[in-house]
Amino acid sequence: MSIILDGLITALQPINLLLLLLGALLGTIVGILPGLGPATGIAVLIPLTFGMEPVSALILMAAIYYGALFGGSRSSILINTPGDGSSVAATFDGYPMTKNGQAGQAMSIAAIASLFGGIMAIFGFIFLAIPLADFALNFGPAEFVLLFLFALSIVVTLSVGNTIKGFLSMFVGLGIATIGVDLQSEVQRFTLGIPELIEGIDFIVVIIGIYAIGEVLYNLFNISQPKTTDHNIGRKLFTKEQWKRSLGPIVRSGPIGFILGALPGSGGTISSLFAYSAQRSLSKKPEEYGKGKVEGLVAPESANSASAVGALIPTLTMAIPGSGATAVMLGALIMIGVTPGPLLFEDSPDLVWTLINSMFIGNIILVTLNIALVGVLMKVLHTPPKVLYPVILLLSFIGVYTLGYSTIDFYILLIAGAVGLLMRVMNYPVVPLILALIVGGDLEQEFQRSMVIYDNAFGILFASPITIVLGILTLLSIVLPLISKWLKRRNRKKQPSQSM
Amino acid sequence: MRAVRLSLPILFITISLIYLIMIFQLPPALLGDPYAPRYFPMIVAAGILVFAVIDLINVRTENVEDNEDLAALIKKDSLKVIGVILAFCVGYALIFEWVGFLAATLLFLGALMFYLNGYRRWVLNLTVTLIFSFSSWYIFSQLLEISLP
Repeated sequence: MSIILDGLITALQPINLLLLLLGALLGTIVGILPGLGPATGIAVLIPLTFGMEPVSALILMAAIYYGALFGGSRSSILINTPGDGSSVAATFDGYPMTKNGQAGQAMSIAAIASLFGGIMAIFGFIFLAIPLADFALNFGPAEFVLLFLFALSIVVTLSVGNTIKGFLSMFVGLGIATIGVDLQSEVQRFTLGIPELIEGIDFIVVIIGIYAIGEVLYNLFNISQPKTTDHNIGRKLFTKEQWKRSLGPIVRSGPIGFILGALPGSGGTISSLFAYSAQRSLSKKPEEYGKGKVEGLVAPESANSASAVGALIPTLTMAIPGSGATAVMLGALIMIGVTPGPLLFEDSPDLVWTLINSMFIGNIILVTLNIALVGVLMKVLHTPPKVLYPVILLLSFIGVYTLGYSTIDFYILLIAGAVGLLMRVMNYPVVPLILALIVGGDLEQEFQRSMVIYDNAFGILFASPITIVLGILTLLSIVLPLISKWLKRRNRKKQPSQSM
Repeated sequence: MRAVRLSLPILFITISLIYLIMIFQLPPALLGDPYAPRYFPMIVAAGILVFAVIDLINVRTENVEDNEDLAALIKKDSLKVIGVILAFCVGYALIFEWVGFLAATLLFLGALMFYLNGYRRWVLNLTVTLIFSFSSWYIFSQLLEISLP
């Protein structure tokens, strides 16, 4: 108990509080900018930590990390432009809420959802860090193959009524993920002789292309047409009724995000999409999702925030980063003299407990900051579209350039934008493509490793109890919606005949 | 309109066939199973092909006439606006490293603003162009120390 109090006292030191505030603010700003997600945010701001005490450096990095997560959802909600994969799910119902004149409510409730998700995960971290780290060690190549397949299957089933297009979109995403050098054999694949493609296509470029460029192009061909939507921006804070509807999804999604976040390589994207899918599946009116339903916004936000804390478990206890951002953080930690690993909790309890306490305080600072910023951010919506869209295009180009310092990414961005526009107009779901692109590389590598170990696909399926459970869940996630659709159709056919 | 709707599945079928040809042209791996780099892409190519063909068949029964977005997109004016914007973007990509970030951004943003808002609103166009070009250069290049050309 005294260790926890010591950690709290250290976290409350003025310098550490100042760093928390600075990290939260910088992280939020960086997260809002397209392309600059938590990983890039930490990488860009690492020089700020030089010369600091390890504990202060860790506090600053963690604050930038979850500040960027908060910030990422702001641009998703306001302009349908996710900063990175983990804030894609916030566009599904967040942006429609903005279009319905509820931008302020969306941003404020999303911030609260992130706070609760984060706090639930911090409790999870305190009590479950070691057991979860042990559980994560059970995940070998076969388990990851099945986990990724399960994630893909539930995301495809999100595209209700468009299952064929959902699968097509998923396979296209997997195809894009195969571009570049195969890490197992070092064979270069589908690079068309372009050296910049050897490392593959960065999924963030595709995300920004599909969402930001696609959105701008979509609006540009509607720009001269008379506006039918109400430009009333609405109140800044969420209503009591919205809060009541949100509580359940927030509480359910936090643990989902936390557990998935703790699995190395799983990350915020899978966590938030899982939470969204689970929330939609539990709903009695799933058809209302994607049209501005508050439950569809708070569920992924809570999970995303919880996953950020969960991702710190493998990073700190096993030195295995759980996400891109924690990979950067791991490198920075080693650089400043902290050695993550199983002994960190025993050797440096002061550091660990100060971090945990600072996460509590940081989350409260962030929610206050983000709610305070709602009014400022909502001014974006007052900007005339013919000014806003050129600026979004510019920010997208700059964001993409910062990822790889190559103009080849500009062309990929534009192709993704044009394809994203066509997919949107022709009702192809883009989320399966994005998730497939994000997990595709890891899925193939784990698949190749599994084939070496188990020799065939059945061997992978029956490798362990975890793979069997995940295999059954994958199958159910594909079959159940089809059965439910078939039953509904049959009932619809029966009803007229009964009435006759 | 149905012909336009067919474009995407046909595009995906074409891509999957080209992708298949490229898979068979991949060099064998020097370590382990020589065909290991081909297995996963082959599953993917088969997946794209199968689902794109089903989608193509489904277009026959799809009610494309109710698709307002598609109808708006294929209007001559819409295609012109999108074409011009994409041309500006390609132009920006071409000159970005050649003339440098600041000059390229001034030209790109200026062109976009004048195209979308017209010459009459030149004060607004110039103000936005100058403010955003210089502020983005300052934030990314100076504050965040990101190397821009």
